[in-house]
Amino acid sequence: MDDNKQNRKVIEAEVPMGPVHPAALEPYRLRLFVEDEIVRDAEMTVGVNHRGVERIMEGLPVEKANSLTEKICGICSNSHIWNSCRTAEIALDIEVPERAIYIRIIMEELERLHSHMLYLAHGCEVLGHETFSMRLFYIRETVMDLLGMIGGNRVQYGSAVLGGVRPRCELDEMRLQKITEGMDLLEEKISAFADRFVSDPMVMSRITGVGLISQKDALRLACTGPTLRATGVANDLRTVMFEYDPFDFDVITQDDGDVKSQLLMRVFENFEAIKIIRQAVRDLPEGPITNRSWEMKDVPLTKSYIEVPRGTLYHSYALEDGRVRNCVIRTPSMANIGAMQYACIGHHITDAQLSIVQCDPCFTCTDRAIEIINI
Amino acid sequence: MSLKSYSRGRAIHVMLVYTGGCNGCDIEIVNCILSPKFDAEQYKVFLTWNPREADVLVVTGPVTKHNEKPLREIYKAIPEPKAVVAAGACALMGGVYKNCHGDIPSEEIAGPVDQIIPVDAKVPGCAVRPQDIVAGLVSALPLLLNAD
Amino acid sequence: MDLTYSLIAVIGTLVVSFMVSLFLPGIERKFIHARIQQRVGPPITSPGIMAPIKFFFKQTINPESPMPRLYNALPLISLIVVIILLLFLIPQMYFLGALASIIAIVGFLKVEEVMYMFMGSLSKSVLSVRMPFPDMAKGAKHPETPRSFVEELSSLRAFRLIAFGSFPIYIALFVSVAKTGSLYLSDIIAYQQIHGPILFSLAGVMGAVVFFIGYMILLNEYPFSILKAKPDVIEGPYLEYASKYRAYVYLTRGFLMFVLATLFATLFLGIAPNIMNINFIITLIVALLFPMIMAVMSAFSPVFTYKQFYPTVAAVSILGVLAIVAALL
Repeated sequence: MDDNKQNRKVIEAEVPMGPVHPAALEPYRLRLFVEDEIVRDAEMTVGVNHRGVERIMEGLPVEKANSLTEKICGICSNSHIWNSCRTAEIALDIEVPERAIYIRIIMEELERLHSHMLYLAHGCEVLGHETFSMRLFYIRETVMDLLGMIGGNRVQYGSAVLGGVRPRCELDEMRLQKITEGMDLLEEKISAFADRFVSDPMVMSRITGVGLISQKDALRLACTGPTLRATGVANDLRTVMFEYDPFDFDVITQDDGDVKSQLLMRVFENFEAIKIIRQAVRDLPEGPITNRSWEMKDVPLTKSYIEVPRGTLYHSYALEDGRVRNCVIRTPSMANIGAMQYACIGHHITDAQLSIVQCDPCFTCTDRAIEIINI
Repeated sequence: MSLKSYSRGRAIHVMLVYTGGCNGCDIEIVNCILSPKFDAEQYKVFLTWNPREADVLVVTGPVTKHNEKPLREIYKAIPEPKAVVAAGACALMGGVYKNCHGDIPSEEIAGPVDQIIPVDAKVPGCAVRPQDIVAGLVSALPLLLNAD
Repeated sequence: MDLTYSLIAVIGTLVVSFMVSLFLPGIERKFIHARIQQRVGPPITSPGIMAPIKFFFKQTINPESPMPRLYNALPLISLIVVIILLLFLIPQMYFLGALASIIAIVGFLKVEEVMYMFMGSLSKSVLSVRMPFPDMAKGAKHPETPRSFVEELSSLRAFRLIAFGSFPIYIALFVSVAKTGSLYLSDIIAYQQIHGPILFSLAGVMGAVVFFIGYMILLNEYPFSILKAKPDVIEGPYLEYASKYRAYVYLTRGFLMFVLATLFATLFLGIAPNIMNINFIITLIVALLFPMIMAVMSAFSPVFTYKQFYPTVAAVSILGVLAIVAALL
């Protein structure tokens, strides 16, 4: 880290915010050390959201544990349950039917859409642009309706189960038709919004050059996901995941690493997600959606990485008598938290919250028990 | 209806406090207020982030240990008459986080909301639907309207 | 007879202005913001009328402040200053001479601004330092740094607004002075009755633009709401107001919207607010138009930081100076 930037003596004042604050919807404590309203150092205290899900999972039957992981985060709930099932499937050598994989991917990409739309809406809210925020929430409703239609619930849909997907999430002709229509609508609305967004001089002047994270710093701070890709590193686990093999999509990267490129990054990723969903709907294979012919056995520690809306998600646990042992979950927001602190240094205090929001914080994901060795 | 009750019914300021839930309810409540599709403002519900301005406190989440004192402080800061709406399964009974196994309570959770502050209306759901939030606010209204 | 007439005119104007000003926040919210944001929006009476009435019926609490009584008195003082401001704009009060002049108006507007600074430094809300949270644990960064409330931040910003932010509106006030060559409102109005409104000249148009930007800055509306920007200072100086004192804050804002628009009508259109004159309708139209245009601007803009604020104010001020030059030529 740039020594001059962080280690110089802070002279003026500390402004603490949170854990209840309009810009950060979620509870966390932020201490900003300011000098004439310029942030010289920042400290984020997380832990408000720590509920110890791993502790509760310890010793639960694996099916129950899977559905519990969904409650880690309401934004990327499908990612957690998918990765948890995937871990058990790798451990127990369960072959997932192809149709189930496609449905999981449709759910995952829908979730990416709604997560990115939420990110954009939250970003606009922190910018102080209520109108844009409301428009984005309105566009997002299309995705929420689709998710509600498939999973039966707008937020926690629980589509993945061990060996496939829940029968409720079976996609029939009518649902496929609705997804296709929804994607057309979304593409039109998002591109219209993006045109309007980038042509707004006031918004552009607020977000250009703010919250800079250089590529070197992003790698050193171990950023992941879109936050890393917005600094120019083409790092996307979807390119190596076998589930995504049949799909044709681009890994989006941006060069600048400021709030503008982070926001545009999400807009472009939305289009890629729409592309993947269209392919999945077009090529959806026939066949069963669950594989029930598997046997429980004891397995040592198994791990699984997938790419979720915010980055790389890691789950690992061992199985003993069909029960989960030594569960470890590492969420992408946890990896990005260093970047959040770093990005707001050197900017005006109004931009500080924006610099944090640009890394897509999700503190319910973040609050895992971790050990920081050395940064 | 007196002017007092009438004016209280026509301008309801809502404050949200998230106490460590999974974000699902939180987003749905923000959705309920910010999204033009639900638009709580047409029911005279206004969003505020200042306890001094608020009439109704909407609490989500199982109240983690770190959030217990802030929640009490914010509740204390709201001037009377006030109502509290607990939204979501976690706020009502601790949800999946309340107990580790069987009846062993989790060390992280300070208990559901009604152990910390008095709750006037409960909105069930995991996650709550935006429509239910508006319904919950309405069910807490008589308390505000009939107060001194 | 003459005295009774004047008295009725003054009181009537004040009451009607106050009534109209109650509807302005509702109009702003319902017809402009909600329409732009494609939603239904609140009833027109809710934000401006029912909310203050509701706050009058709430429990009066002691605000967390080193000087609670002074802090609670400030919004009332603010409201009185705005009422006095309107009072001196009414033609029946022009016999007061120096008080019915641009200098007095500048002074009263300054008082209005200084209020924000006092409010900010006296408020100690629960939302920042006083929040009980174990963040000063072992290993916390910079434990020796003095801690400040977010309201102190907005107090500092109020200071800056006094220093440079309110330039545009004061420059715009002096456009009409430069045009008419008199500081007295009566002379400015008399000039415009002979020569036509100042607005319909080059200097007048430029002055009107500058006045409008100054109007937005003085009212702390988006994008110029650095005093109470949601991302950092939440509500800024108003954080600790509850019950009836918050009602005064609500009323003051609506009334200030009206009075500044009236000021514009007086200085640039030559129409003083007087209920006995048929031209009062034009005052009302201006008072409705100003918040509506402001609402359109604020709905389409993010909050500014200094990076955008300084250049905007500088550019508008230069335009204002040009307007004065054009008025003098």
